[in-house]
Amino acid sequence: MKSILPPQAAPPSDGTFKPQLTSLVDVMTILLVFLIKSFSTEGSLITAASDLVLPVSNSQESPRVRSSIEITRKSVITDGHVLISTDSLRMADSLLVPGVYEWMKAARERNNDQSSGELVIQCDREIEFAVVKKVMYTCSKAGFSDFLVLVTREE
Amino acid sequence: MLSLFRSNRPPSEAAAEASDLDVTPVMNLFIILIPFLVSMAVFTHLSIVEFSLPPDLGAGKNDSSAKPVPKLTVRIGRDFLAVVLGERMLDSLAVTTEFPFDTLLLRLKYRVQELSYSDEVIVASRDNIPFKHVVRVMDLCREAGLKKVGLSSATADPGAGL
Repeated sequence: MKSILPPQAAPPSDGTFKPQLTSLVDVMTILLVFLIKSFSTEGSLITAASDLVLPVSNSQESPRVRSSIEITRKSVITDGHVLISTDSLRMADSLLVPGVYEWMKAARERNNDQSSGELVIQCDREIEFAVVKKVMYTCSKAGFSDFLVLVTREE
Repeated sequence: MLSLFRSNRPPSEAAAEASDLDVTPVMNLFIILIPFLVSMAVFTHLSIVEFSLPPDLGAGKNDSSAKPVPKLTVRIGRDFLAVVLGERMLDSLAVTTEFPFDTLLLRLKYRVQELSYSDEVIVASRDNIPFKHVVRVMDLCREAGLKKVGLSSATADPGAGL
């Protein structure tokens, strides 16, 4: 009786199984091209905080390793230490925020010889200018004189 | 008679086996290369934007003896974008559904040429403006040829002095 199933390929005479790798090689080649395109010998000197979305800019200036302060939607953080919640900062009457001032003054004195008063601000793109203004004012009073804003480079 | 055309007949099994490439070494190479490249890949390119502070902020930045020079200022409000030189309003753009950044760029380029202005430009924002718009205006100032950008706070009146 004749079988309705397609005839199976006969196993190789030496008993080894040869998988078909052509499609896998195609995938690997595409992946390789993509990764070579995004390859960077410099790496990233600064890593943006995970819980904030940076504003987009066409600035081409590379980031420098400096003291930094992060203004997320929830809190203001530096060196992994939460200084104040963003809501409290928003409601503060004064431009000078004592909790932030004391910590940043200590940080400035600690890193006095390493950086020339530069501070990198990592700020969420939706944060109002009033909040950024208070942080900048407080940090300038703490001894930071030059401010750099970390942004995502526009492609 | 010998044909000049290639035969359409399928190759024999022996010939097919002979032309089958062994891609295993290529796969080995890929398996080594791909984790290495993944570890060195940068998917988001970061940059920094530099700006100067108003003169009353920051140590040693206040030069009170110098004669004040009217500066070009871009004011950002919820419902307006304004280009001001000192106390003189040059352009005022209404914000409707979104900020007219393209028009602002054109006006800035025109004013820079008209005034032959190459000094510092101040970006003055109202308190309730999201920071992304402030950064965008700073970008536009640089695109218009003004390399030195300062950041300040704006009053409610678009035409008022800083």
